[in-house]
Amino acid sequence: MSIVLYRVDDRLIHGQVVVGWGQPLEAGFIVLVDDEVRASEWEQDLYRMGVPPHIEVVFASVEEARRRLGAWNADPRSGILLARDIDTFAAIVGDANGLIRRINIGGVHHRDGRSERLRYVYLTDAEANKLRQLAARGIEITAQDVPTARAVPLQEFV
Amino acid sequence: MKRRLGTALLRLFTLQGSWNYERMIGVGTGVAEEPLLRDLPGGPGGPAYRSAVARASRFFNAHPYLAGLAVGAAARAEHDGAPGDQIERLRTALCGPLGSVGDRLVWAGWLPLTASLAIAGVALGLGSAAVAAFLVVYNLGHVALRWWALRQGWQHGLKVVVALQAPWLQRAVALAGPGMALGAGLSLPLAAVWLAGAFEPWARVALAACAGVGLLAIRMLPRQVSGLRLGLGLVAVALVVGWVWR
Repeated sequence: MSIVLYRVDDRLIHGQVVVGWGQPLEAGFIVLVDDEVRASEWEQDLYRMGVPPHIEVVFASVEEARRRLGAWNADPRSGILLARDIDTFAAIVGDANGLIRRINIGGVHHRDGRSERLRYVYLTDAEANKLRQLAARGIEITAQDVPTARAVPLQEFV
Repeated sequence: MKRRLGTALLRLFTLQGSWNYERMIGVGTGVAEEPLLRDLPGGPGGPAYRSAVARASRFFNAHPYLAGLAVGAAARAEHDGAPGDQIERLRTALCGPLGSVGDRLVWAGWLPLTASLAIAGVALGLGSAAVAAFLVVYNLGHVALRWWALRQGWQHGLKVVVALQAPWLQRAVALAGPGMALGAGLSLPLAAVWLAGAFEPWARVALAACAGVGLLAIRMLPRQVSGLRLGLGLVAVALVVGWVWR
């Protein structure tokens, strides 16, 4: 298998990810890409708490994610890769596109400067632009909080 | 400070009153945390207080009974002078574990367990005493959990993960599911006998068939059929049939 879900979710690991997606995808590992969490022991402890023991949690910086993306995609288990925001994802995709063909927008919530696009997607204009650029490079971008919901194509919310 | 914690606890009961898609229960946590922030340097209205209240009111979502843990921990971290972005990250990181622990412990454990014991009690003839006992016992656990969460958060601040790793909590979460299953398994046959007791034999067969078809429908069409929809639908059918029959 490989990484079967690339997801933008500012809550990172929570019920929708572990139960909602993890069960139907039979996820064996979750990669959490975040420079700050990578450097913070207590945050890692907290995120690990919500994950059952049979799922491995890998914490990576953006830099490490770019380097190890190939290895994760060669992993025999199915994996989920999570990052907090669009900027982080754009940085992971970097110039070496190819491995990431699909990005799921799972939850980007309100913050100053962001406006509502969907009930669970709030974006700044810069973030919306970045999504358009990623889509222009051939990456399929949809918003979908849980697998039972409809996948909303990018042009419907940006 | 005990008084302020009491005020925060009372305010935590209003948590879901301001629920909205933009911040979920974030406004509620801001309101609940506010009393704990009044004695920050500069007092109410000072810059530390204002930025702390603003942080406390940002997007947040977790189990309502356990949200106090994040409220207490964030308030303690504000008093300890932790950097603002670290406090925001603490709140974000708590959403997941507080949600999953609360769901397993309360929605899938304590609530169905106590409710099914009450149903068993009614079926065994205890009547309204069983219902009253349910309301008292369930809410004793509920309020105790809210108070524990707030106190633990306030005590540990940024290191609040140790509260969630407490052995009794781990054990309670592990026992919640089987306990609930035991309660439901006890109460279902008792309730079925109690409800169907007055019916003719053919009506009991019809009742069992309805229950069987309902279970199948919930299993096979989980997106269209839920327990509530099915129950309300059957009540509506029963009312119409009863009215026509008469």
